[in-house]
Amino acid sequence: MQAKTLRRWNNILHRDIGYLCFGMTIIYAVSGIVLNHFKSGDFMHPDYSKSYHEYTVPIPPSGAVDQTYVFKVLEKVGERRHYKSHITGEGYVQIFLDNGSCYVDLNTGAAQLEKKTTRYVIREFNLLHYNNLKRFYTWFSDLYAAGLIILAITGLFVLRGKNGIIGRGAWLTAIGILIPALFLLIYW
Amino acid sequence: MYLLLFPVVLAFSACNSSTDKNLNAKADTTRISVLTFTRQADSLVNKPVMIEGTVFHTCKHGGKRLFLVDGTDSIRVEVTAGEQIAKFDESLIGSRILITGLLREERIDTKYLNEWEAEVKKPEENHGAGLHTGAKGHEDQGVQEKLDQIAALRADLKNSGKDHLSFFSVEAISYKVIQ
Repeated sequence: MQAKTLRRWNNILHRDIGYLCFGMTIIYAVSGIVLNHFKSGDFMHPDYSKSYHEYTVPIPPSGAVDQTYVFKVLEKVGERRHYKSHITGEGYVQIFLDNGSCYVDLNTGAAQLEKKTTRYVIREFNLLHYNNLKRFYTWFSDLYAAGLIILAITGLFVLRGKNGIIGRGAWLTAIGILIPALFLLIYW
Repeated sequence: MYLLLFPVVLAFSACNSSTDKNLNAKADTTRISVLTFTRQADSLVNKPVMIEGTVFHTCKHGGKRLFLVDGTDSIRVEVTAGEQIAKFDESLIGSRILITGLLREERIDTKYLNEWEAEVKKPEENHGAGLHTGAKGHEDQGVQEKLDQIAALRADLKNSGKDHLSFFSVEAISYKVIQ
């Protein structure tokens, strides 16, 4: 096969696989940033944003926590209609709400209301990134990964001349390989 | 032509992605409760069980784990997501759910604790290593807290007079939200 024909097929592959990989690349890239920073502690949770509010609530007079007391606490923090359930532990009651929870220290009356907001879209991206779905998605994401490898290799040969792989492209490719290698040398 | 395959693959994936919570309990499935879990677990290892409880915590690292309680947090039952369950979403926290699954045992011996300790002492801590307790903040434990936990387990192991400690959990096959 002639070099010209090879390059033509290379460019067709690069173009079409590039189109196909667009969606998944955006999903993995966005979710990758979220998960990177979540693991380093910048986010409390990758799928939800959380806010905290402090209150002081009355301590149950008899020391026993019952439904009436729980509802009284929720009235105080303005979350009565979001009640889901509650559990008690040593010196505390935790009240679960549709949109968070309320933790009450029964010794001091200090209550912390945690409210969460779903990060729609990002939550679904994370689900795909973690491969929680398994089944055929595992094969599909493997196919995507193979597509990325082909995309990277064909990308090297798209251009000819001084901007191609024997010119400027060689330097940029080398830099792209050296940067991760440098991180390994420094941090590992 | 090959462009046509893309939506087909997507459609296939979508058809299979629904985490149905159908509970197909087999005849030999034992119904257990959170409060009696520790007493019953020993005799039910690798057997099918059904357990009901309130979701106290879900693991934020991929949602592959949750903890069930019943009224009080003194007994927490660890539940891991089996292959059929994509994840335990945090919206389950506080819900009453019924789980069908297999009871699993994790044995912790000196070798396990040595390897865990070596893992914890590495600069890049691995969340997968160690024992999950469901306690508030257990996922954000520092190195010293983990080392303390290992030391406490070493003491428990010594006091038990056995060569291992058993930790029981349920590997969920399906679940149903009751309320």
